[in-house]
Amino acid sequence: MADYILEMRGITKVFPGVRALDDVSINVERGTVHALVGENGAGKSTLIKVLAGIYHPEEGEVYLDGVKTVFRTPNDSQHKGISVVHQEFKMSETLSVAENVFLGNLMYKGRVVDWKGMRVCADKMLRDLGVPMDVDVAVETLSVAQKQMVEICKAINRNCKVLIMDEPSATLTEKEQMLMFDTVRKLKASGVTVIYISHRMEEIFDLCDNVSVLRDGQHIATVPVASVTRDELVSLMVGRTVTNEYPRSSVQPGEVILEGRNITRKGVLHDISFQLRKGEVLGIAGLVGAGRTELARAILGIDKIDSGELLLHGKPVKMDSFRKAIANGLSLVPEDRKTQGLVQIATVSRNINMVNMDAAAHGFVMDDAKERKISAEYVQKLDISTPSVDTEAQYLSGGNQQKVVIAKWLLEDSEIVILDEPTRGIDVGAKSEIHNLIVSLVEQGKSVLMISSELPEVIGMSDRILVIHEGHLVGELHRGEASQKRIMSLCV
Amino acid sequence: MSELSANRNLKVRISKFTKEYAIVIAILALMIIFTLTSEYFLTYRNIRNILMQTVSLAIVCIGQSLIVTTGEFDLSLGQNVCLSSAVMAWLIKYGGFNPWIAILCAIAVGALIGLTNGVLIAYAGIPCFIVTLVFQMVARGGAKIITNATPIPGMPEQIKFLGRGFIGGMEYGVPISVLIMLALFVVFSFITQRTKYGRSLYAIGGNKEAAYFAGINVKNTRAINYTIAGTLCGISAVLLVIRLDSAAITNGNLYEFDAMISCILGGISLAGGRGKIVQALFGAIFLMLFFNGMTMLNVNPFVQDVLKGIVMIGAVALDVVRNKRR
Repeated sequence: MADYILEMRGITKVFPGVRALDDVSINVERGTVHALVGENGAGKSTLIKVLAGIYHPEEGEVYLDGVKTVFRTPNDSQHKGISVVHQEFKMSETLSVAENVFLGNLMYKGRVVDWKGMRVCADKMLRDLGVPMDVDVAVETLSVAQKQMVEICKAINRNCKVLIMDEPSATLTEKEQMLMFDTVRKLKASGVTVIYISHRMEEIFDLCDNVSVLRDGQHIATVPVASVTRDELVSLMVGRTVTNEYPRSSVQPGEVILEGRNITRKGVLHDISFQLRKGEVLGIAGLVGAGRTELARAILGIDKIDSGELLLHGKPVKMDSFRKAIANGLSLVPEDRKTQGLVQIATVSRNINMVNMDAAAHGFVMDDAKERKISAEYVQKLDISTPSVDTEAQYLSGGNQQKVVIAKWLLEDSEIVILDEPTRGIDVGAKSEIHNLIVSLVEQGKSVLMISSELPEVIGMSDRILVIHEGHLVGELHRGEASQKRIMSLCV
Repeated sequence: MSELSANRNLKVRISKFTKEYAIVIAILALMIIFTLTSEYFLTYRNIRNILMQTVSLAIVCIGQSLIVTTGEFDLSLGQNVCLSSAVMAWLIKYGGFNPWIAILCAIAVGALIGLTNGVLIAYAGIPCFIVTLVFQMVARGGAKIITNATPIPGMPEQIKFLGRGFIGGMEYGVPISVLIMLALFVVFSFITQRTKYGRSLYAIGGNKEAAYFAGINVKNTRAINYTIAGTLCGISAVLLVIRLDSAAITNGNLYEFDAMISCILGGISLAGGRGKIVQALFGAIFLMLFFNGMTMLNVNPFVQDVLKGIVMIGAVALDVVRNKRR
């Protein structure tokens, strides 16, 4: 019999109207990296929250190290050896690295706080993880990847037996991911069991030993990673076979719609020239912070350009505000769906009509019925899963929220659609729907500029790819000549 | 089946109504209590008096709730009323102006303060707390300079009907000021609920950044909002001066806070993006009823201040709980 550190038996958690977890039994082997996958809303977060002591299941038992255990509060759960590294870090930004590692768990020398001891200790822990850094600097000055390492340190600092990592790679660059993988492997070697949640198939095959699939709150399967293929895993998650992962349009790109000439923004963008054609998907690849989002912002008039010019249909335009860019037929599906893309507490209908209010207005007056009718059309067209158009956007899953964001620009009927990380944190099913949407956009003769950190996505979707590194345009690759290796070699 | 669903619909509607207008139930409860404890309370005259006393505050409430809807607040509203009323009274009594011109000037002063607030907050990016606190002090100072801190009494007959007149006779008539207030509520309810401007307000209150990324002119909308609130202070000041027949530096004192309490009592979320301005009207009525009743029951006025604070804390706590539950 295998040696299980964690056994979940028949866990059921019910929320009003939904069975978030339905009789879920999963065993986690000691000293392994155990992947937990499933679409958004499959129950992954609920399961984590049960283990973290945030939710209390209606039914079921958890055995930790063979002992039946109840996790009452997050603190209780940490005490018993389960730590979670959440997607959003929970740290005091103004405190130092060492202070954060020992936050709520200070070392004492007699009755006074042992600062020196903690600094030495934190320093050693970070070194052991292979990520040495200055433990005296404030956390706010660190990169996302470094913050994550501090979170991990903080987590394992509390006699951690099981470390749960919730989509740890979502905000990391390729290189940082590699480092993080190394850290996870080191943790594993030191005897910590890791539960790893991710949407990215590559990582699971790279890093994990076993994988459990959840779908609609039910446990579908737990298998050794070595025994499944990627496609099998995806169909287990989605419940149907997903074949062509990246759809392609049949349209040949036409004339140049938007052209940038020597666009420069001091210290951010250097002399970038590009062309976007009608019916084209132009991908922008590069590391996080390379200037991809900044380029989009400059084009859209959100940030000022110091020199260079922008031509729309061959005529120079000066984008001095985002509103002017919208009036000129440009649009943006922003990077951060939660804080930039949607008004969470507004209804689906209000969100969809937010850009093009005129579609449902007579003069200054809004026609409520028309507004909801228009929204209902888009909900149907984009297959947005929502109880009604009057549901607040915050209650929708990530993929459906993103579709609402796209719907509002479809209603505006923009000629040029700029998408910044359009599928980040979205499950496989919704992802391919968004890819299909992008294709249907270009088939309608619109042009798409797509920024993505997921190289397979950029390569799979784009007609051409611009590679940006430290604010410079370092390469332009055509469909067919782009590969992950080629792009990465341009990025370093 | 249709009967069943109609029945259910009615239930949903009632539960939605009671959630949104819990304050109406609270008002009725207060009225019952005061009716039982005082024989003077439930008379047409007393109720009419309470409503007339509510007018100036309620009009300020409209402005405050517009601003609260965008997730901000304005601390200058009360002293804006004070300065505007001082300007009006001074122009009439010492400037020899036509009262109607003086009224327009008072409203213009209110609007100007609002506009300055709005420009500094929306375009210069200074936090609303700082800007409106500064203008609270500036307006208070201005009012003291103009009035020399002594009341300017005695308003001309020709404008008195605005604040003290009745349609249908002194005895059982309907006060004109209350009608003006109701008209303003109707207009602004329409603006917030049915116009593009209203949609923008809620979007900004829900998430400023997302509103910006949806192409809403966030800066302009915010600046206009403060200007409207200031203008309403001017209108409120005119009616207040006429009703009190005097411009004193106590006019409008603490209205900004009373208006905020009214918003919260009515159920408008301080976090922004939720609530209707009519809820603030009910909040203001509740507040006025509460103090009218206290006075009638001979509760020490100093104790009343303490009670006001307790009511505010209670309302805010309720708001926090409500937001958490969502």
